[in-house]
Amino acid sequence: MTRLTKTSPAAYSQVPYDVDWDIINQTRVAMHFDDSDVEIKRTSSLGLTDVSCLNRMGVKGKGAATWLTKQGVTIPDKPNTWIETNNALVLRLGMSEFLIEDQLGSDECKKLELMIQDAPKDVYHVVRADASFFICGDKVLNMFSELCTLDLSEKVFKFEDVLMTQVADISATISYQTINNKQIYRLWCDGTLGAYMWNVLHQLATEQGGGAVGLSIYFPNK
Amino acid sequence: MNLRTDKQLGEWLDRTKQVMFSFEGKQYKAFDGDTISSALWASGEKVLGRSFKYHRARGVMSLANHDINVMLTDGEDTNMRGDVILVQEGMSLMAVNTKGGVIKDKNRFIEYLAPFLTVGFYYKAFYKPKFMFPFWENVIRKAAGLGVTNFNYPRIPKPKLNKHVDVLVVGAGPSGLSAALSVAMSTELQVLIVDENHQAGGSLAYDRAGQDTHFFKMEELLAKIGKAKNITLRLNAYASSYYTDHLIPIVEDRGITKVRAKTVIVATGAFEQPPVFRNNDLPGVVNGSAAQRLIYRFATKPFLNGVVFTANDYGYRVAKDLIKAGVEVSAIVDLRKKVSEKCLASIEALKTQKISIYSSYCVYEAVPNKDRTGVSAVVICPFDEDTNEVDASQQITLACDGVAMSAGWAPAAALLYQSGMKVKYDYIVEQFVPDVLPKGIFAAGKVNGTFDLEQRISDGARSAVEAMRYLGEENASNIKVEPHTDSSPSHFYPVVNHPKGRNFVDFDEDIQTKDFINAAKEGFDNIELMKRFTTVGMGPSQGKHSNMNAIRILARIRDLPVEKIGSTTSRPFFHPTPIGHLGGRSFHPQRQSAIQGWHKKSGAVLVDVGAWSRPEYYQVSGFTVDEIVQQEAEAVFKKVGIIDGSSLGKIEVCGPGAAAFLERFFTGNFIDQKVGETRYALSLDESAVISDDGLASRISDELFYITISTGNTAIVYREMQRWLQIWQLDVVLINVTGSYGIINVVGPMAKELLNGVINEDISNDKFPSNTVKQFTIDDLSIRVMRVAFVAEQGYELHVPADNMLAVWEMIIKEGQPFGIRPFGTATQRLLRLEMGHHLPGYDTDGLTTPLDLGVQSKLELNKAFFIGKRSFEIIAKKPLRQRSVAFVLEENFSGQMPKDCNLVISGKDIKGRVTSVLYSNNAERVIGFAYVDPNNTSINSQFSIRTDNGSLVKATVVDTPFITQDKGQQI
Repeated sequence: MTRLTKTSPAAYSQVPYDVDWDIINQTRVAMHFDDSDVEIKRTSSLGLTDVSCLNRMGVKGKGAATWLTKQGVTIPDKPNTWIETNNALVLRLGMSEFLIEDQLGSDECKKLELMIQDAPKDVYHVVRADASFFICGDKVLNMFSELCTLDLSEKVFKFEDVLMTQVADISATISYQTINNKQIYRLWCDGTLGAYMWNVLHQLATEQGGGAVGLSIYFPNK
Repeated sequence: MNLRTDKQLGEWLDRTKQVMFSFEGKQYKAFDGDTISSALWASGEKVLGRSFKYHRARGVMSLANHDINVMLTDGEDTNMRGDVILVQEGMSLMAVNTKGGVIKDKNRFIEYLAPFLTVGFYYKAFYKPKFMFPFWENVIRKAAGLGVTNFNYPRIPKPKLNKHVDVLVVGAGPSGLSAALSVAMSTELQVLIVDENHQAGGSLAYDRAGQDTHFFKMEELLAKIGKAKNITLRLNAYASSYYTDHLIPIVEDRGITKVRAKTVIVATGAFEQPPVFRNNDLPGVVNGSAAQRLIYRFATKPFLNGVVFTANDYGYRVAKDLIKAGVEVSAIVDLRKKVSEKCLASIEALKTQKISIYSSYCVYEAVPNKDRTGVSAVVICPFDEDTNEVDASQQITLACDGVAMSAGWAPAAALLYQSGMKVKYDYIVEQFVPDVLPKGIFAAGKVNGTFDLEQRISDGARSAVEAMRYLGEENASNIKVEPHTDSSPSHFYPVVNHPKGRNFVDFDEDIQTKDFINAAKEGFDNIELMKRFTTVGMGPSQGKHSNMNAIRILARIRDLPVEKIGSTTSRPFFHPTPIGHLGGRSFHPQRQSAIQGWHKKSGAVLVDVGAWSRPEYYQVSGFTVDEIVQQEAEAVFKKVGIIDGSSLGKIEVCGPGAAAFLERFFTGNFIDQKVGETRYALSLDESAVISDDGLASRISDELFYITISTGNTAIVYREMQRWLQIWQLDVVLINVTGSYGIINVVGPMAKELLNGVINEDISNDKFPSNTVKQFTIDDLSIRVMRVAFVAEQGYELHVPADNMLAVWEMIIKEGQPFGIRPFGTATQRLLRLEMGHHLPGYDTDGLTTPLDLGVQSKLELNKAFFIGKRSFEIIAKKPLRQRSVAFVLEENFSGQMPKDCNLVISGKDIKGRVTSVLYSNNAERVIGFAYVDPNNTSINSQFSIRTDNGSLVKATVVDTPFITQDKGQQI
């Protein structure tokens, strides 16, 4: 396993801010953008956090579902839904495509990455380099109403749903989860567009009275 | 003259807040809540603007967002509609389309040229004699258009939002409010009502017939609306257009909201149509509903002593409102022979107030005052509505300073037309009404042909029931709306002919009745042709006040029923919308490499390459761009350079059918490709045009790793997916463009440098050109390819994107003793040219075939199939039009430097064009590629390039590469 430090795809956009950095999952991560009380306030209106450091991997192919199940991973029954298993999110992006993301402290992806070397021929490892964000606060839907044409209100967009759509004119995957009793919208996009997405989200969040929030707000013990 | 009345019940004014503003340099007082027009009108100003063509004085006409002759500028913004824009403290306003001010407009004398300026005159004039056309073009361009574009207008980003609702109700008049309440009270469906006005209620607020019962009804409805939790009411918001699947953009000051509704109820009402008579455009001649709006919204009398010219019962309601406001109404002139029973009672009541009622009379003409800025009297005559004949021998002149007109309505049905509604003509209401509506669209109220208040409220409820049923609310019970029984709200032909004309049909473009007759005589007698020839309905109000009368006139000219003439459909957006709104906030997605921060920190000047932002070169103080590019190229040529190639597309083709897939998709052979080998991959489209090229590396039996050019990644990947669907091969495609960064280390010292980074044998024996191998750097597994694109010694390191910065910095550090230098795309372009490599998209265009480029050797024609093969075989039999060659200019060339796209000339013929040309320090020559005559491609043959200054430069065809690192300059 390499000791080389990783960088978040959105890190370049965060450099101008007065950021406290730390290394998590070998990745240089923004832990604080401001005082904790300011960041907590932002999370109530519109807080944006870069969680690209979470390990993730993709599995694709006709045998993907069977193989994952054999590895003890619970998978969603239906495409475009997600489930949490072994402290990891498993997003079923299609009948035969999955995105698995470790939550902090989980090493499900690492285990699977080792095991996929010996997987059957119809199982393919997809190297993921997503930019990934937590977005929370009572103005999240206001912001999405400018960035996404789909209805993301809970009435239509259910807890278990995964949406692959366009956000700010680029392809993105959206879902929401609950962390520390807070409803957190999740957004994944191609890493090469991570800085762009961060800038867009940050600008809109700031306009709505929110802003950047470091990872330590969610994971204070890390 | 002060026309302000005492406080009116429900007026929109806040009399506690006074506002000062100026118009045409003069100061005025207004109240908060006044529009520009109402404030000026209340102050006695009648000339608020000038007409487009003849520059006639114009004032209030509709006060409903369609007074397009009252458009103003505040110096920054232009074409501000005075009838709806609220006056604000400190505004400094001027009327647009005047020369010398609205009163002394020098262009007002154009009217005297009117006999020469008939519609369509410009189609027949000006083009002869030909040499005069530029002069006339200049004159016409200056005359055309309204307002002056302010190129310094501030860029204010207006958001474009998305909203989803169950029911969208367009229009907050009685029908719309009733519909919304009906839905909200019996379901939990989310209802959104939008209305373009500052306050809700529609005509309930101002159509009162001298009483306040309508107003109280409005208050009752609005109170219920306010209590309904599932209704949202948005004012100052107009539904601008209809798009498929019930997408309706709502325009507000703050921006556009794209509303997607499950069902839409259109309760948009109707536009009042002015009757046509001589001088019906003078300031003081206003629509009846405009007079009512002035009175009840803005506490302003339309005039002091007026006449009501009516062709329906509505005129009598207007008369009562005028009287209540304190206006002296001397007469009501009714075009009709017969009025309804209901109306007779009104007539009797009005007679008791000593108001003369002239039935079967018309206003023959409004008599202008001395300076033609207002009305001094009207001339009325007996009128036979059946024959449309005026008895001009029995003229009566009535002194007055204004006319309120009520002749009928045209449905505000633009949304319905755009949604695909089929219409029919209803002779009972003399109006086009919906016949067949698209699924999920419902109409209610005046737009649906119901005019009586109770009927409109019922019609709103009925449309709500239908909408609820459409959404699956089966319990909604039927509501029947009684048909209209009174006299028609619209007259079938409210047009009074006058031998001297000036009876305007279209106020936007100053089109008179005779213009239609002339157009028809010239053969433009179809509504679409007539619209374009006369320009009726093509002005800023888009025919809201003219189309219906135009249709009636054309029907009479052609002696056809109105429904046979048909109507036109306004394009979206049917109401003018600021471009800033349409543009919205700009999103410009831009891909960045994982080490963009390093590039910026190291002085990179970034350039857009396709969707990517890439370093073009790295700035060094004291040197020009050209010098830096040559320095960077020299570093690569003599030592070692490093470039971030992450933008290249990267696709993994996996599965048992992977090789077969590539055999079909690319022109070369891949079935026999060995694991660890890299091959050139050229792709054509079905017409044998080069679409892209790249490299295919076989990682394992069932895994190929394809790299493709930066700008074509999305297109190639999409094409791969499409063909995979067609071919149904057992293949999985994975786009890993963003997953890997590419570090390209090139130059004669590249191998030596990487020896210190990759702790494995990378000697030419173990790792020869055109191979791919997995190596490790600090335990990180990376894919490395030997590629000779910009230099003979080249190593492409494909690194997981999140580790790229660490690896890049490590190589930079290790490379210092070797004189490593980062280089950008500008240098890359030069280096690949020196190596003699074409760039797809740069040296090719949308018509370039392999024969044009001279790369037919890359086509494996023995294969049964590859995309474009069949077309290529056909093209190959035809004569070649052009051929790309490598060329150099003479040594020490010092003339005008040719540029990309300069033409290759032979005599007077264009033979081709330059596609790439640069000076190479390494080659000590200007080198390039150009398309030339296919008969002139042999080595040392010459051709001429015409440069930007017109000079011809001689170029000589040479072989490639232009230089080699082993041999140096090869030319």
